Amino acid sequence: MRLAYYPGCTMKTDAKNFDESTYSAAEALGIELLEPTRWNCCGTVHALAKDNVMNYLAPIRNLIRVEQMNEAELVDDKRVVTQCAMCYNTLKRANADAKADPDKMGKIRDFMEKEPNYQGSVNVVHMLELIKGLGWDEVKSKVVKPLDGLKVFPYYGCLLLRPREYGIDDPDHPTVMEDLFEALGAEVVDNPYKAKCCGAYHAVHLKEVAADLSYRILRQAQEAGADIIVTACPLCQFNLGDRQNEIKKHQREFEGIPVVYYTQLMALAFGKEGTGFEQNIPDPVPVLEEKGLL
Amino acid sequence: MGENESEMVTIHVMGKKHEVPADLTIMKAMEYAGHQFRRGAGCRGGYCGACAAMYRVKGSYKLEGALACQKIVEDGMYIAQIPFSPAEKITYDLSELKPDANTFLEYYPEISRCLSCNTCTKACPQDIEVMDYVQASLRGDVEGAARLSFDCIGCGLCAVRCPAEIVPYNVGQLARRLNSRYVIGPTEHVLKRVGEVEAGEFDADIDELKRSDRKTLQKRYESREVKL
Amino acid sequence: MSGYPEYMQGLLKLVEETRPDRVGKALRAMNAEEKEQILRDWHPDYKMDQKRKLKIGSSAGELMPHEVADTLEAHPVIKPGDIDLSNVVYDVDVLVIGAGGAGLSASLTAIEHGVAPDNVLMIQKLRLGDANSKMSQGGIQAADAPDDNPTIHYLDVIGGGHYANKPDLVEAMVKEGPDVIKWHEELGVTYDKLEDGTMQLAPGGGTSRKRMHSCKDYTGLEITRVLVDEFINKEISYVEFTSAVELVMDDKGQVAGAVLWDMDHDDYTVARAKSTILATGGFGRLHIQGFETTNHYGATNDGVVMAYHVGANLRDLDSTQFHPTGAAYPAQIVGQLCTEKLRARGAQPLNNDGVLFVYPLETRDVEASALIRECYGREKGIVTPTGMRGVWLDTPLIDVINGEGTIEREFAAMFRTFNKFGIDIREEPMLVYPTLHYQNGGVEINVQCETNVPGLYAAGEVCGGIHGKNRLMGNSQLDLYVFGRRAGRFSAERAKTATLGDLTLDHLDVYEKMLADAGVVTDRKAPTLLPEYRGKRTLEHQLKML
Repeated sequence: MRLAYYPGCTMKTDAKNFDESTYSAAEALGIELLEPTRWNCCGTVHALAKDNVMNYLAPIRNLIRVEQMNEAELVDDKRVVTQCAMCYNTLKRANADAKADPDKMGKIRDFMEKEPNYQGSVNVVHMLELIKGLGWDEVKSKVVKPLDGLKVFPYYGCLLLRPREYGIDDPDHPTVMEDLFEALGAEVVDNPYKAKCCGAYHAVHLKEVAADLSYRILRQAQEAGADIIVTACPLCQFNLGDRQNEIKKHQREFEGIPVVYYTQLMALAFGKEGTGFEQNIPDPVPVLEEKGLL
Repeated sequence: MGENESEMVTIHVMGKKHEVPADLTIMKAMEYAGHQFRRGAGCRGGYCGACAAMYRVKGSYKLEGALACQKIVEDGMYIAQIPFSPAEKITYDLSELKPDANTFLEYYPEISRCLSCNTCTKACPQDIEVMDYVQASLRGDVEGAARLSFDCIGCGLCAVRCPAEIVPYNVGQLARRLNSRYVIGPTEHVLKRVGEVEAGEFDADIDELKRSDRKTLQKRYESREVKL
Repeated sequence: MSGYPEYMQGLLKLVEETRPDRVGKALRAMNAEEKEQILRDWHPDYKMDQKRKLKIGSSAGELMPHEVADTLEAHPVIKPGDIDLSNVVYDVDVLVIGAGGAGLSASLTAIEHGVAPDNVLMIQKLRLGDANSKMSQGGIQAADAPDDNPTIHYLDVIGGGHYANKPDLVEAMVKEGPDVIKWHEELGVTYDKLEDGTMQLAPGGGTSRKRMHSCKDYTGLEITRVLVDEFINKEISYVEFTSAVELVMDDKGQVAGAVLWDMDHDDYTVARAKSTILATGGFGRLHIQGFETTNHYGATNDGVVMAYHVGANLRDLDSTQFHPTGAAYPAQIVGQLCTEKLRARGAQPLNNDGVLFVYPLETRDVEASALIRECYGREKGIVTPTGMRGVWLDTPLIDVINGEGTIEREFAAMFRTFNKFGIDIREEPMLVYPTLHYQNGGVEINVQCETNVPGLYAAGEVCGGIHGKNRLMGNSQLDLYVFGRRAGRFSAERAKTATLGDLTLDHLDVYEKMLADAGVVTDRKAPTLLPEYRGKRTLEHQLKML
């Protein structure tokens, strides 16, 4: 299956491990991901003010690229796969808004001029939705190294689940990652904090707020006995992972817990190279070695 | 065909009306109208970007950009030259930089304001995908930004039009230097030859040629091996 | 869609018909006698009625084109009394006049040799980097390939220059070629390379090896913009849109700076300098013999004129380079450069029968002569709607020989320029005719870039002696950086010990007296500074060529 894949800027910079492991996991599942030859920033969700057409240009332009790929028969259908939660949310919402509002769509088309008109035919999907669609048995059949004995805490954050109409799962009781990790052979640690905010929106201006919110989640994971936290978003990854050094300065009892992208553990379970663990902070390798997985 | 037979058109240079031959470039039309350039003219061949101009044609709302030395006048054209683009080029030591997204963001943080509106691309008289190379730099794709921006002549029209106040041509210049220095790197056979020259390997042969009389030189030249 | 008028499209059919048989074929190069003959018969330099003997100064009696002699047999723009020499606005170690490849290299090198960035001043008539250097398309020579070496390069240069070159200068140039490329790469210039990481090298007219390094067909643009970027990084002081109008001397007979004309405010100021570097470029905008030119707007021979006013020696100014292939159609771009790299990559010059009539990679003087002969001797040219003659340059062969996509990739500038006029050079040939390209001669220098006047240095096209009577493609780009760097280095060294006396412009009175003594009666003034195209003169050069 050949599918259009929109990576987004973060996947090519701070979240290269997410990008790399996405390709590894997809390959094991028989999915060929193809990036548009030209793509631009998704536009980022906070820019999606309803009354400003300018901010829709970025996401819609990316969707035009997908229609072009489909037209050129480079991909098998009109889905575009996303990974970064921010990109997913932005593309999904911009797509829905533009399709629902012919006036807005008209203005976008007018402004873009030289681009072909967006037909509104693209379906934005998250990689997790795609995997779920394959069926858990299918996933299970690809596992060569079950994640036996690994206690996984899946963390969803906000943008994958909210607003409700664009979420990939029930915002109050999501289960897609739980189902995935069970299929991969891991032990899932459930906890109500899995869909709480990590504080990403305060990451720059109110660092202490972000640190506090992140710490609550980390503490819950640790108290629940998790070996590892799994995320599906580069911002969550940064707040829960990279920020631990700073959190440790203030929370002396906190020992630290590795945080990885869900695709990294998929790649591991599927026996693939290209897990990208070397980029993670803190280093997840000791825990995975201890569990006999590396 | 002399100028007497040329069809004439009307243009407005900074609001002043002139009748000029229809087949002239903006630059030559302005000269024909009596203007002597001090600013706003350079190579006159489309290589230097000194003659950026903006114009509208009667009956159209479109604001177009062009190089005055390359664009043929049209009847009813309103022309303004943009001989200077106010922009700060940051200074840096290339040997201390890293070829990644952070370098671009550190020096030109405004690139993160890019709306992907593509106005820069539409303004480019070289038909460069300007927005695409700004976007490439934003995600640290140094090679892509360098390749896409390569034909940039620095006319400044993209920077004048950008609603996010980005100066794309400065970003492209940084990308190309980073790409050459770090992604491509030096050439082995060049370094080797520099070493050989420094070691004096060719001194004796060249000395001999320098001492030769014209007749000997001519003989050597006419009979030299040509390997193309 | 063809950008050519219908009657020309008919002739194009002949080109298409002969194309398959021409692939991989080339006429043999001419031998020495044939070359001499065609130059004598057809090269513009050999038209003696287009030249005269200079009446004044150290080069009195030497032949040069009327247009050049006119600028030397002319009154200086200013008189000594016009300028208050006590009002020194800029006081620096090194003054660099001109911001092309030579001036930029000189400035960057001067600060490497100990001059503070604010103790170098660059003066530029246009913007930083707006110079012929930027317009070079095809490439830069340097003998760094394994099957090449500086000795072979030396022989190519001196034979191509008809043995009139100054050997020391040629030696310096060919030996430092590889180091210039190394320097460029360190600065971040992007040269075309093959997949194995070696340079993609092309031949040029008169080269015996593939020695041409290129940056697509934007070679000069790429190098110049990197140097400009670095120049700004180093925070070297500079003033744009300011022209040097005369050199200033001191009472010890040294050059000690220049009188500057602020072109925005029509003001004169004085810059005092311990070393002054002329990097003012050439004379294309003098339109020798009425030819259109490839040169930029500022190429008006100012450096040679100012140098002659202070008594600098000149040489080889009788010799002018006509580039064989300037655009002959459409009229809007007549005279603009169609790079020699086109022929290096396989394009052939053809007459109106679609027949190849000359080896495509003769030296430029011979190649240009052959094109002129084809048009005016053999009457085999193609006549444009404006009455100009030209021959085809069969560019589609480039893709036939090197694979589809080569033209778009390697000739982006050419492709873009012609495409604007509806001519797709992948499908249709260009129409070309020789165009005024380069002054082979100029101010005489030694290997330290010193002129015979203390304190005055020169580098780049303003100099004579490097290329003899004919320059090979890609050697002007090289000479800019070799001698630009040398000028920067040696002028910096001099500035460390030089002391200046009282400033004077008395040499202008001396010059006026020479003019009077020689009986030169004229109202001409020089340096020219800006070419005159106002009014119907816009169309003049195009008409003169008919």
